[in-house]
Amino acid sequence: MEEKQLVRLAQEGSPEAFEELVRKYQPKVFSMALSFTRNREAADDLAQEVFLKAYLALPRFHGKSEFGTWLYRISVNHIKDYLRKKGRAKEVSLEDVREISFSDKEQTEKAERDREIESRRTLVQKFVGSLPDKYRIILTLRDIQGLPYEEISRILKLSPGTVDSRLHRARRMLRVKLAPYFAAEGGTYELS
Amino acid sequence: MNCRKAEKRLLMSLDGRLEGGAAVLLAKHLEACPACRKAEADYRSMLALLRDGRDAEPIPRFWERLGPRLKEETEIVPLLFWERWSLRAIPVFLALVVMIGGFLFLTPQAGEMSQSATLLLENRDPLSETQALFEADKPETRTMMLMFASLDEKTTLRRPTP
Repeated sequence: MEEKQLVRLAQEGSPEAFEELVRKYQPKVFSMALSFTRNREAADDLAQEVFLKAYLALPRFHGKSEFGTWLYRISVNHIKDYLRKKGRAKEVSLEDVREISFSDKEQTEKAERDREIESRRTLVQKFVGSLPDKYRIILTLRDIQGLPYEEISRILKLSPGTVDSRLHRARRMLRVKLAPYFAAEGGTYELS
Repeated sequence: MNCRKAEKRLLMSLDGRLEGGAAVLLAKHLEACPACRKAEADYRSMLALLRDGRDAEPIPRFWERLGPRLKEETEIVPLLFWERWSLRAIPVFLALVVMIGGFLFLTPQAGEMSQSATLLLENRDPLSETQALFEADKPETRTMMLMFASLDEKTTLRRPTP
């Protein structure tokens, strides 16, 4: 069944249609929430709340944008509220990083490599969390979620030029934060 | 091409948005500039780490947990809807009370009315009654009645013309 039809049926009160929409978008909403919270339980709660909000707001969805874009907009706004309530993440010091990277030398080579990748991922996520909200959101939507520029522009209601320049600045800021780590370790984790 | 421009184009290239001559120019710059080559390596690592967390496995039985919450919410919604509208209705209700109260307060009461107005309100015919009284009395009495009637209406007393 087409998405527009599913949305129409859900608006008419069909739980089955809404369930199908939830099953389609849940991984993306969860993944977005996780990239902001770095906590699976919190991300799951946020995803549930996003779908609840979307369900209650369904009568006000007039199909001016795609359902996915509309849902992402709800997600971003809800996550923003959550982060505002929770307070900003603290800056990560280089000492924290080294502690994560070089601990437990007794691991086997493979386990050590996995651990190193995981610690780098955690580190990058922590640094993303310390960026100002407007850069953090755009970086998450583009580089973690992989959404196209045009969609980000629609979700955030920003011009494509603003998306471009803000993303560029966000990446530069993140690189500056990571620079001491990359200098110490060498940036060897290849882009897949 | 300077390093600042190269960095911008490098990020476009990592996004798959750089083509043709610009890509060739960037490649030449990277070949000649070790600082930008380092920047390229850093950005590649950074983006790879970011993209790595994209496909996180959600917690199972999502819908099974969401379904009952939706049901619960839709049961609450009509109440919320009524509450929301009743809150908005309070100022309208107060304005109506003030208007009606004001109207009632400003309308003259029976005690404050003139004799003719009272008679009119009581649905009598003051003109015919006055006429009957007028005709039954002597001319002196009629003059006195006219004088008292004028006083009752709070108009200036005028001397009757002969």
